[in-house]
Amino acid sequence: MSSTIRPDRVPVAWRQLAAEPAKLCVSIAAVAAAVTLVLLLSGLRRGMGEQVTLYVDHQAPVLVGQSGSRNFLSQVSVLPEELGSRIERVPGVAWAAPIGQQYAMLRLHGRRALALLVGYDPGKPGGPWRIASGRAPRFDGELVLDRVLASEHGLGVGSTLEYRGARLRIVGLSSGTSAFMTPLAFATRSTVNALNRQPRTAGFFLVRPAPGVAPETLARRIDRAVPGVSALTKEEVAANDRRLFVGAFSGPLRAMVAIAFAVAILVIGLTIYSSTSERSREYATLKAVGLPRSALFRLVAAQAIALALGGTALGALLGLGAARAVSALAPKYLIVVTPGTVGPIAAGALATALAAALLPARYLARLDPASAFRR
Amino acid sequence: MSVPVARRQLLARPGRTLAGLAGIATALLLVLVLKAIFAGMEERLTAYIDGSGADVIVAQSGVDTMHMTQSALPEKIAGAIAALPGVEEAKPILSVPTLVERGDRRGIVYLIGDDSGGEPLPLVAGRRPGAGEVLLERTLAGTLGARVGSTVRVLGRSLRVSGELGSMASITNSLAVVRREDLSRLLRSSGVVSYVLVRARPGVPAEGLAVRIERAVPGVTASTRAAFARSERRVVGDMSTDIVRAMIFVGFVIGVAVAGLVAYSSTLSQLRDYAVLRALGLRAKSALGLVLAQVGATVAAGFALALALVWLLGLLLPRLAPALVLVVRPADVVQALAVAGAVALAAAALPVLHVARVDPASVFRR
Repeated sequence: MSSTIRPDRVPVAWRQLAAEPAKLCVSIAAVAAAVTLVLLLSGLRRGMGEQVTLYVDHQAPVLVGQSGSRNFLSQVSVLPEELGSRIERVPGVAWAAPIGQQYAMLRLHGRRALALLVGYDPGKPGGPWRIASGRAPRFDGELVLDRVLASEHGLGVGSTLEYRGARLRIVGLSSGTSAFMTPLAFATRSTVNALNRQPRTAGFFLVRPAPGVAPETLARRIDRAVPGVSALTKEEVAANDRRLFVGAFSGPLRAMVAIAFAVAILVIGLTIYSSTSERSREYATLKAVGLPRSALFRLVAAQAIALALGGTALGALLGLGAARAVSALAPKYLIVVTPGTVGPIAAGALATALAAALLPARYLARLDPASAFRR
Repeated sequence: MSVPVARRQLLARPGRTLAGLAGIATALLLVLVLKAIFAGMEERLTAYIDGSGADVIVAQSGVDTMHMTQSALPEKIAGAIAALPGVEEAKPILSVPTLVERGDRRGIVYLIGDDSGGEPLPLVAGRRPGAGEVLLERTLAGTLGARVGSTVRVLGRSLRVSGELGSMASITNSLAVVRREDLSRLLRSSGVVSYVLVRARPGVPAEGLAVRIERAVPGVTASTRAAFARSERRVVGDMSTDIVRAMIFVGFVIGVAVAGLVAYSSTLSQLRDYAVLRALGLRAKSALGLVLAQVGATVAAGFALALALVWLLGLLLPRLAPALVLVVRPADVVQALAVAGAVALAAAALPVLHVARVDPASVFRR
C-alpha cells in the first residue's frame, strides 16, 4: 500500500528544522566548532610535520652524520671536520659541506624561545637561503635570525643577544625559516663549535651528488666507503624527523580529535532528539495518516545529515579562515588545511550524524500513532 | 510549601538533560585534558633532575635547563667546584639527545654520561652500567623489547643493557645512562662536560651555595634544583601557551553552544509552563532565576562529570600509554571552572530573553 503522505513532495524534514531558526543556527554552530577544531588540530599536526623538515628540505640531497644517525633533529652527531675531504673522494660526490646543528634555547624577554642553530662555513652551502634584511654571517659571533622570531621579540639587524655566555650580534634576518618548534638561526660553524667546546668538528656533511648520480646510490656508496658514518638521503632524514616530532604529539592530538567528534555526535543527537520528542504529536499524526516507519527514520536521518553537512561546511569555512588568520597573525604556526583534509572529516561527520540519529529513531519506533488523537 | 520547579523541568526529559550534560562535560574535558597533558609533560620533564639528588646544578653561563638545551663546560670546573666550602660532592655529567635502537625499534632519549651510573635514581631491574653498558628507562626498555642482558645500538655502537630505571619517560623522550667515559669517546669531547651536579654539605642552604659557586667560578650558571626544575617546566609552558589558549577558547565555544542548545530547547518546550507560572503570579525575575538555575545546574553537573572523566583517564592512560601522564592541578580546575561559569552565563542569554518576553495571557489562548 502506498502511503498517503509523500515525504519527497513535502519538505517535512526541512520545515521542521527551519521552524526554529535560532536552534538550527546554534546546532550548526556547535557542529561547526567541533569540525573546525578537528580541522585545526589535524592541520597543526600536518603543519608541524612540514615545519620540522624546513632546513633539510632546502639542502643537498645527501646528509652524512655520525654512525647511527637517523635524524637531523633531536639526535647528536659529531664528526671530525677532516672527514669532508674523505667524503669528497668518494666517486660521484660533487662536493661535501660541513655544518653544525643544535637546538638553541634562547631567552628573549624573560621567555624561552627554541630555535635550531645551524653553523656553516661562510661561502659554502648550508646557510640561510633567503635573507630578508642585512647580510649572512661572515665572522664569529655574528648571527642571522628568523625574521618572525626576531619581530616577536623586537629584535632587528644590529641587536645583540646573550646565548650560553656569548654575545651574538644579529647581522641579518632570514625569511622562509619560521617554525613553531624550530625557527632557524644561522652562525658560522666556528661560532657553534666554540659554544660546544668542540673545535674542528662538524655535525653533518651536506653532500651534492655529481650529475647523473642518484642520491640513494651515493648514500649507499658513502656508507660503504667511509667508516664511522651514516649516509642518508634528505628524504629519509625528513621522514624520520617528521615521524619523531609529529609521532610524539599524535597521541594527545588524536585524543583531542576523538573528543571533538564526541562533541559533534552529542550536539547532533541532542538537537534531533529534542526536536523529535517535542514534535511527538506531529510524528504520531504522520504515523496515523500512513507514513511508514522507514520514512519516519529517513526523515530523522535527513535532519541529522543536514545538520552534519551544514556544520561541516561552516566548520570547513571557519577552519580555512582560521588557518589563514593564524598564518597572518602568528606566522610561526603552520596549519595545513586542504580540500583533501575536509573530505575525510565530512565523511566522519556523516557517520556521526547517522549515529546521532539512532536515538530518536528508537523513540519514533515506539511512538503510538493513537497518541495523536489523545489531546 | 515550595515546589522544585527547576529540578522538575530538568528531570521531565532526562534523555535531553543527560545528553546536554554529556556535551558540556565533553567540552570542559577538552580544556581539562589538554592542561593535564601539558602538566604531565612538565612533571616528567623534571623527573631526572628531581631524582638526581643534586642540590645545585651548574651549567654553562646562561643555561638553566636540560631539555633541548646544550651546555659545555671544561671538565676541570668540577674539581674547582668540589674544592669550594659547603660542597659535599660535585659530579660532572654529559647529556645529549640521541636515539637508542634495537632492530627496527627506536626511541629518543636524553643519554646521560655519569661515572656513578645514574646514582641515586632508583633501579627496578639489573644493575648500574659498567663500561660498554647502558641503563635504560623502563618504558623505553619495554618499547624496544630490550630487557637486561640484551644489546642496543647508540651512536653507532653496541651496548649491553645492564639494568632498568623506574618510569621517567615523557611523550617526547626517555632516559638512558652510560659511563661518562664511553659517551665522551663517542662524542669526541674529552675534557668537556655538560653539567656539574652538586650536593651541599648538611646544613648548607642550596641558594647560598649556588650564589657562592657563581661568584667563585667564572662562566657558569648555578641553579638550585627547585629553580632548575621550575625553569625546565617553563620551557613547556612558554612553548604551549598559545596552543593552550586556543584550545580553551574552542572548548569555551563548544561549551557555550552545547549548554545554550540544551537551555534554549528546554526553555522553548517549557514556554507554556512559564506562561502558566507567570499567570499564577510568578514574577519575571523569579522566572529568569528558574532558567539560570537550570543552566547553572546542567553546567555544574557537566563540570563534575568532566572532572570525574579526567580522573578516570588519569588512571587508565598510564596503563595504555606509560609515557602519557595526566596531571590535574588545582589552578587548572579553577580555570576550567571559570570557563564553565562563562559558558553558563553565555548559554543562558538566549532562553532568558525568551522567558522575559513571555506573555502570561498566552496560556489562555489555546
